[in-house]
Amino acid sequence: MKRGLTIWRCRACGVAFFPERLLCPRCHSHEWEQDRVYEAVVEEVSTIRHMIGQSDWTPRRIASVRTSDGQLITVGLRDDFSPGTAIDLYEDGSAPYGQAKS
Amino acid sequence: MFKNAAIVGVGQSAYTRHPQPDQSVHVFMRDAVVAALGDAGIDARDVDGMAVASFSLVPDTAVDLAWRLGLSLRWLLQDTNGGSSAMNMLGHALRGVETGAASVILVLGGDATGLAGYGKVAANFNLATRDHLAPLGHGGPNGVYALVTSRQMKKYGLEKSDYGHIAIAQRAWAAKNPHAVYRAPMTMDEYLNAPLVADPLSRYDCVPVVAGAQAIIVAHPDRAPRGRAPVAVRAIRASFNYDNQEGDGLQTGISTFAAELWPTAGVRPDDVDVASIYDDYPTMVLAQLNDLGMIAGNDLARFARRDIGERRFPLNTWGGMLSAGQPGGPAGGLNGISEAVLQLQHRAGERQVKDARLAVTTGYGMTMYRYGGTAAAAVLERGK
Repeated sequence: MKRGLTIWRCRACGVAFFPERLLCPRCHSHEWEQDRVYEAVVEEVSTIRHMIGQSDWTPRRIASVRTSDGQLITVGLRDDFSPGTAIDLYEDGSAPYGQAKS
Repeated sequence: MFKNAAIVGVGQSAYTRHPQPDQSVHVFMRDAVVAALGDAGIDARDVDGMAVASFSLVPDTAVDLAWRLGLSLRWLLQDTNGGSSAMNMLGHALRGVETGAASVILVLGGDATGLAGYGKVAANFNLATRDHLAPLGHGGPNGVYALVTSRQMKKYGLEKSDYGHIAIAQRAWAAKNPHAVYRAPMTMDEYLNAPLVADPLSRYDCVPVVAGAQAIIVAHPDRAPRGRAPVAVRAIRASFNYDNQEGDGLQTGISTFAAELWPTAGVRPDDVDVASIYDDYPTMVLAQLNDLGMIAGNDLARFARRDIGERRFPLNTWGGMLSAGQPGGPAGGLNGISEAVLQLQHRAGERQVKDARLAVTTGYGMTMYRYGGTAAAAVLERGK
């Protein structure tokens, strides 16, 4: 687990994206720098109760969140958060998660 | 308007929820091809073009399928746009015939992944899904569109039962379609009490994955069987990666071309007699219809309750994928086109919409990250 989430910021126009892009959708520059974002607000939540093709499944929570830098991303939630809740972001491998603010 | 290209035949395989081990997608596709050629009265030797889309054709590609089908071609396309593949292939096929690149094009889609196989496909739609969504246990498209549905309910003041009107109305149509996998009537209580899959989506909001295939034949309208109207395409438009996944997903790529589609077709949304709207989820049916300008005042709730709930508008008259089954997105989309063709040729049997002359068909798909990034729509007309 790593605190925060990697985002990719365009060196030309300064806008950051997740997931990584090849050219900036705003200005089409190809020059990027990695940055990190640490906070987000939950917008929608779902509990995944059934996984197609799997009979042994433990429900998981996912959420659409807006990061403090403006990216709209999908994260996993280990806790039960309602829309509007501010959360901390962290990475588990390549997957983004949200947890209660420390 | 295409003057030298039209849809002249349709066909499908049987659909099954649980394919047998010896039932590969190739077999289902073969059955659909035989049915479509038979329907059009065209000999396989006359086919000189083919378009195909499938998640489960691998490791074969389009040319391998041509080989297995014994078709020697001068025009070949393999499409990878999921739920809008059918519409995309239709557009390419029409242009191919119109310009003389081929004279008879077989447009084909099918899948036979089985449930477990589909789970693997859904976890590997693209790099973003594989790396950033599947590790969360996001549930494939069900999880993605659960979040979109919550957003739509909030924005438009929709209730869960509003989506139920779509599922229930389509089930009523499916009762009249012998090919549909679910034909028993559904009540609102059954819809509302169905097990949740991914909140707020429950069982009947999610397309049932089936094995099967669909085919249509595009050729000069004169190739239509004697006494049967060819189906002309007045306009067709498509969109790919319309917003870089930076919106809310409540508008689809159709919103980028709807204002051009209708004038090009020379008709208005309220001229449409029957609609085949890609229905992976009821949410996206409403989104596409709204983008097409077919929901008055953007009042999605009123449309669902009145136009669909009171059966005022013939939507997805084969039962849609929600009841007929989704044999992969490509074939699911082709089923919608095929139904529009049958309706316009007045061959839809018990499902026939009286005097149907104009239809709209759509495709939507390739769930890229937060929602689908491809969309297409066409206006079809009963030809002379």
